[in-house]
Amino acid sequence: MELSDLQTSPGEWLGGTGPEADIVISSRIRLARNLAGYPFLSTANEQQLGELERMVRERLLNTCRAEGMSYFSLPSLGPIDRQFLVERHLISRELASGKGARGVGLAVDETVSIMVNEEDHLRIQGLCSGLQLREAWERVDAVDTRLESCLEFAFSPQFGYLTICPTNAGTGLRASVMLHLPALVMTKQINKVFQAVAKISLIVRGLYGEGTQASGDFYQISNQSTLGKSETDVIELIENVIPKIIGFEKTVRTNLMQQKREVMEDKVWRAYGMLKHARMITSEETMDLLSAVRMGVSLGIIQEVKMDAINELFLFTQPAHLQKQKETQLDETERDVVRASYIRKRLQQSD
Amino acid sequence: MLCELCNKSEAVVHLVDVSNNSRAEKHLCKDCAASQGATIKSHMQKSSSSTKDAGDVLPEIFQNLSATSGAAEAEACGQCGTTYRQFRSSGKFGCPECYVEFNVKVSDLLEKIHSRCEHTGKVPSTASDDLAQQKELQTQQKRLQGLYADLDKAVNDEDYERAAELRDEIQRMQEGAAGA
Repeated sequence: MELSDLQTSPGEWLGGTGPEADIVISSRIRLARNLAGYPFLSTANEQQLGELERMVRERLLNTCRAEGMSYFSLPSLGPIDRQFLVERHLISRELASGKGARGVGLAVDETVSIMVNEEDHLRIQGLCSGLQLREAWERVDAVDTRLESCLEFAFSPQFGYLTICPTNAGTGLRASVMLHLPALVMTKQINKVFQAVAKISLIVRGLYGEGTQASGDFYQISNQSTLGKSETDVIELIENVIPKIIGFEKTVRTNLMQQKREVMEDKVWRAYGMLKHARMITSEETMDLLSAVRMGVSLGIIQEVKMDAINELFLFTQPAHLQKQKETQLDETERDVVRASYIRKRLQQSD
Repeated sequence: MLCELCNKSEAVVHLVDVSNNSRAEKHLCKDCAASQGATIKSHMQKSSSSTKDAGDVLPEIFQNLSATSGAAEAEACGQCGTTYRQFRSSGKFGCPECYVEFNVKVSDLLEKIHSRCEHTGKVPSTASDDLAQQKELQTQQKRLQGLYADLDKAVNDEDYERAAELRDEIQRMQEGAAGA
């Protein structure tokens, strides 16, 4: 597989096919694993990093044939390709900007990605569309089990899987669900969600994970603690709370439609109008406008565009995706022009 | 109370030897106790040092006793050389062995982070064979910790006969572990 093979489709997880897909964008599981007998990345030297990467890469390609695994070495990728993978949530910003031997294994349908030498030696990630944490876990668990037959992971019966940061020790599992919550943001009730999930030790993050800003009204809910609870217990905890947040968002949307119908319709149609006619548009403005249109599609205010077209636009209008389409490097102003033109074309197609 | 030997410094080490139903007490300052090579074992010792001679352990105790937190933080992982201080400032361990080397501190820390410090969840299939053995070892370590706590209490309560019993039991357990 080549990276350019990916750019024409949004990846299965953004397909909008999973349960509760109008509010839940995706479900993600990641496992942190380290090899026994090797130092963590904090103390590993260049030679050890290289050795580690070569070994993991070889075993990965051998054991994950079923997934159609391809491997990309990060130092051999240019900055646009790296950013492209970040935008698709296949690698982290840390792996993209890191140094030394490191890479990523990708399943052909992008539902599994394995980062090598990110913060831990391995980060195995599973991504599914909609609310499907269990499915994501099953995929990741299967890959993990196959990998452990050929790689010895650092493990202690007392502390579980040993990770460079003690915050990930134990299961090494982070389960996250990405939600689109525009009505809660509009009515300034999103803080109630933050407070409620904090009470059950869950945390809220932005679009691209730890330390990132919420953009386009997207929020990720994930577990904080990784020790003392089994993988399925953590998944259950999140699975139980997500329907409540979905319910809250839906109730607020319904109330808004009953009490402020014109305001809602105006917000959605204005956003749609801007997207359809703008000649230059920034990434940030695009996210905000698409968010309003997405809510409009979900509420039936706009019927001429389909949800999957909007979902795709969120991804395809990001800087690296635009540059991959144009096959050239673009500066910020050029990107804003290309972005606006791309959006106009896509929205005309769906008319 | 002044040291029985030098009569100058404050006695900070109180030794009680109970054997053959007779009981002897010694109250020494830090330096005199060290020079005597007094045979006490630290109940703060790490599991990995349990096979060391008591004579080797003593200086460690003093280090612990006089330790400002700085001295404890200078402790380095025998495998990768990362010190606890380095770990504290970066939040990152140097290698998997650090979890073993800093075991007691790590337990406390993990408890603080996760509200729990025992793994439940997936176990790699390769580890499950050794698991029963390791669990057994852990149970023993916990029992040993309990005995040390009891010993502490007995000494505080000045119940020296009970303390002697506990000391013997600890010794037997440690010899058993070393012989295993």
